[in-house]
Amino acid sequence: MRYLLTSICVLLFASCASYPDIIGLVEEENLKQQVYNPYFSNTTKDYVYKADLKFYKRKFSGIIIVKKIGSKEHRLVFTTEMGNKIFDFSFYENDFKVNYVLQDMNKKIILNMLQTDFSALLKEYNVSIKDYTKKNLEVKETKMANKAYFYFYENKELVKIVRENKGKEKVVYHFSEIKNNIAQGILIEHKNIKLNIKLKGI
Amino acid sequence: MNKIVCLLFFIAFGGINAQTKMSAQEAEILKNKVKARADETQSISSDFTQYKHLDFLSNDIESKGKLAFKSPNTVKWEYVKPFAYSVLFKGETLYINNEGDKSNVDIGSNKLFKELNTLIASSIKGDMFTTEHFAITYFKKGKDNEVHFAPKDPKLSEFIKAFHITFNSMGDVMEVKMIEPSNDYTQIVFSNRELNKAIPDAVFAH
Repeated sequence: MRYLLTSICVLLFASCASYPDIIGLVEEENLKQQVYNPYFSNTTKDYVYKADLKFYKRKFSGIIIVKKIGSKEHRLVFTTEMGNKIFDFSFYENDFKVNYVLQDMNKKIILNMLQTDFSALLKEYNVSIKDYTKKNLEVKETKMANKAYFYFYENKELVKIVRENKGKEKVVYHFSEIKNNIAQGILIEHKNIKLNIKLKGI
Repeated sequence: MNKIVCLLFFIAFGGINAQTKMSAQEAEILKNKVKARADETQSISSDFTQYKHLDFLSNDIESKGKLAFKSPNTVKWEYVKPFAYSVLFKGETLYINNEGDKSNVDIGSNKLFKELNTLIASSIKGDMFTTEHFAITYFKKGKDNEVHFAPKDPKLSEFIKAFHITFNSMGDVMEVKMIEPSNDYTQIVFSNRELNKAIPDAVFAH
């Protein structure tokens, strides 16, 4: 009985606790530092990834191509391996444009989700509203489109971005095989729906 | 100024020289040659290089692979570099092998996939001269011939504005270019093409 009560208390505490508390981050003085994602920042580079999407039990694959155009636009195109375009989006500072989308995918719910997922992935600069540390991790909290994001830096290298809501991780972006400001491996993992997007640099 | 005029003239003239429209008679000869070639085709094996052109990119995206075709419509389209991915149209099934992860789609009941299979099979042989499906224009390009096929079916023209197929003097397909409505395109250049050479069954196994 006592064990049960303790468990309930722990659960209650955990559900009220903030995300930084839950994962044991230590808050530091907020210097409103720049939050920087360097992985799609070079205008001279064509970023090309083999993409594998898993939505519940269904699997899709193709190629994702990203290009930074000038200082204000990122273009992102998804094609099949054989080159047929599935969608083609432009991301601006605070705007989003659909250049093309396959008719079958032209649904608001899908487009909104893709917009949210990819705009966070491509966003280059932001400002931290809170700063934290944990061992060799530097964590910066920021906001995009009214959603909270935590950027995890290990030895100054961005290794993870977490979209958080009410203490829970909603979407986690993992970056791996990082070299010269390019992440060869990117995994976008949704925690509330069974959707994973795996990118492998080619 | 004169130099510029000369240059412009040269470019314009050069352009006309590079690609001239065929006469109806020449078009008929080419069409018959390709059809005869397609009729005697039992199998094709070939390497290919694919160039994906998107206007905003600095470079085309290049991938390489192998094609195997067995009459009437078994096709294996396999990418080897920079990733391993293959699709195999065999009977009523489309088999996919995505870097070792195998899956398949039943195309028996899917009209769009069936049409796609027919389209792929006919475009590798070049035999797409069905005027009810395509608006067709014929060009001469040096020693080779180039034929433009613009789909009439609105479902297909949503993806592809035109196929440009280049034939050598024998009537073999050397190049297929699929142009999207936005003018971005996928270009496939064939090499080491072998006609009617026995292809081991293992190639078409899944």
